[in-house]
Amino acid sequence: MSAVAKFHRRYRAETADLGLFDWDGFIADDAPDWAQALRKRGHENVIANGLPTPKLERFKYFNLPAWLKKNELSYKPADIAIDGNTDYVTQFGPRCSYIPDWTQEAAESAPIGEDKYGDMMLWRLSDAYFKDGIVVDVPANTKSDAPLNLTITGHDGAVTMPRLIIRVAKGSDFTLCEYHIGQGAAWNNAVTQVIIEEGARFRHYRMQENPHEAAYTQNTHVKVADGAQYEAFTLTNGAAQSRHQLHVELQGPEASCDLNGINILSGKQNADTTITVEHQAPQCRSNQNYRNVVTDQATGIFQGKVHVHQIAQQTDGYQLSNSLLLSPQAVMNTKPELEIYADDVKCSHGATSGRLDEKALFYLRSRGIPELQARALLIQAFVSEVMEDISFDPIKEQGEHIVQRWLDHATLSVHTDWVEE
Amino acid sequence: MIEIKNLHAEIEGNEILKGLDLSIGEGEVHAIMGPNGAGKSTLGYVLAGREGYEVTDGSVTMDGEDILEMETDERAAAGLFLAFQYPVEIPGVQMTTFLKTALNAIRKARGEEELDAIGLLKLMKDKCKQLGISDEMMKRAVNAGFSGGEKKRNEVLQMAMIEPKFAVLDETDSGLDIDALRIVADGVNALRAKNRSFLVITHYQRLLDYIKPDHVHVLADGKIAKSGGPELALELEEKGYAEFVTEEAA
Repeated sequence: MSAVAKFHRRYRAETADLGLFDWDGFIADDAPDWAQALRKRGHENVIANGLPTPKLERFKYFNLPAWLKKNELSYKPADIAIDGNTDYVTQFGPRCSYIPDWTQEAAESAPIGEDKYGDMMLWRLSDAYFKDGIVVDVPANTKSDAPLNLTITGHDGAVTMPRLIIRVAKGSDFTLCEYHIGQGAAWNNAVTQVIIEEGARFRHYRMQENPHEAAYTQNTHVKVADGAQYEAFTLTNGAAQSRHQLHVELQGPEASCDLNGINILSGKQNADTTITVEHQAPQCRSNQNYRNVVTDQATGIFQGKVHVHQIAQQTDGYQLSNSLLLSPQAVMNTKPELEIYADDVKCSHGATSGRLDEKALFYLRSRGIPELQARALLIQAFVSEVMEDISFDPIKEQGEHIVQRWLDHATLSVHTDWVEE
Repeated sequence: MIEIKNLHAEIEGNEILKGLDLSIGEGEVHAIMGPNGAGKSTLGYVLAGREGYEVTDGSVTMDGEDILEMETDERAAAGLFLAFQYPVEIPGVQMTTFLKTALNAIRKARGEEELDAIGLLKLMKDKCKQLGISDEMMKRAVNAGFSGGEKKRNEVLQMAMIEPKFAVLDETDSGLDIDALRIVADGVNALRAKNRSFLVITHYQRLLDYIKPDHVHVLADGKIAKSGGPELALELEEKGYAEFVTEEAA
């Protein structure tokens, strides 16, 4: 047994006993052999390694086992409603028989070198339940402003493992909007695999507004070819426990990605954004820009890594995570990482955490703006830098609306027990 | 109209204002001059209610109302305006959003009807024109990247839109060249009215060439050390503040 496997095994005993949601029961369907094999491998992996616990460095601040202990779950196919630009969509499952052949290679692929950090554990769990989801196949040179909208609804007590496989062929331009909503304690453990071919652009928006009892884990793996662009924006406002794990490989020269997000957290929410960008070719550009607003006893996590391979000369890599803490118990854990093996690169990262600017607050109030309104205005200003970069107006408007609604209900007043340290 | 009586205030336990008395009648312009460290800016902040500036004794009333009991925004709604020495840059908040929010908050607090976007835009355009402020400046974030002159003109613009009863100008002349000073002073002068009082805080007499005060006071060591007419400013310009600075403070 490898040292890594031993390491995982050590923690397996401490992982909540899931019973794997009657896994043996549903394996017997008419899915193609490769899909069956994928499930089997996933299942074996979970049996061997368990699920991630905070003892793993990359999951240090994210406690899924604690949530699982509190909730009883059973496996269900995901409730996904599609509308808008549905021309290139195949919805597969629950018997898995309609899945196009080309998806095999995509479904079997995985980020390089992730297994050793435990990052693949939730992915492998999802593999074990590879059974339903959405395939999007946009043909070459197809440009459309109309987005595909997916509404993914969680149901109390259900665990779902939908797979999204998306291919945007050469020279195309496609937009996907995902809306995550639901009722009660549902757990959605999704895997999304994206292939963006030469010169194509894919815009990917996610509004995560699950109820505060829910759990949400997402593994997204994106391959970006020569001159292609990936633009992602994620707004996280929901779920008790959530983790967005985003792995982008810039595989061809002049590929680029913009990974932006806003996390607005309250109550006891715990939201984790873990990003890896692999610069695998020269002249690529990557940009990560996140704004986190945390109040009450909520915890935010931002772990962002830029890995510049030796071949990736003239890389432009930028990463920023700024956080606003509105209460003394609010926590933000930020861990930026740069790993650079090329010598001709421009890379930078930055992270800040702080309170609202008292001078700005006083200035606004001196102009007659009541305290709560002044605070809301400054919070909106804080997130606006990321919001304004969204190139798709309907999402920008929805984002502003969600932030506004959050501000109307969040605890923004001065906490009298705030002690300066 | 404005009555400041025996005002004592401290910052982190250090007493800065030590029994200040000042009475400003309706429509009057008073100037407060004084050496550095006398407490001039502290007075402005105490009047506006800045956190950390603690009033330990005395009273301040505006038209008989005790303003020390009010929150900062309530003071603004009651008619107090502080033009900042260093206006704060607020990236991400557009000037138009800021002006609309401020003006409507004040109108609401006063029981007046709120302005719609069109009404506000018209008012803003009129006032900008008077003050030589470009439309382009209104499209930017509050004070963000504004030059020193633009920031001060922006303070006067806000004052012109809010139409306060009592305006405190904290070293509005600092950092301005002579042309900018004239524009700002003209803007202030245009707002002089029977029902509006001003307190002009300045280190130099220069500003008072453009904004003519009715009364001049010297603030030294946290108290009014001397009061007089406009001629007092000229006298200070000539002799300096030496006679008001104690050896300890120097």
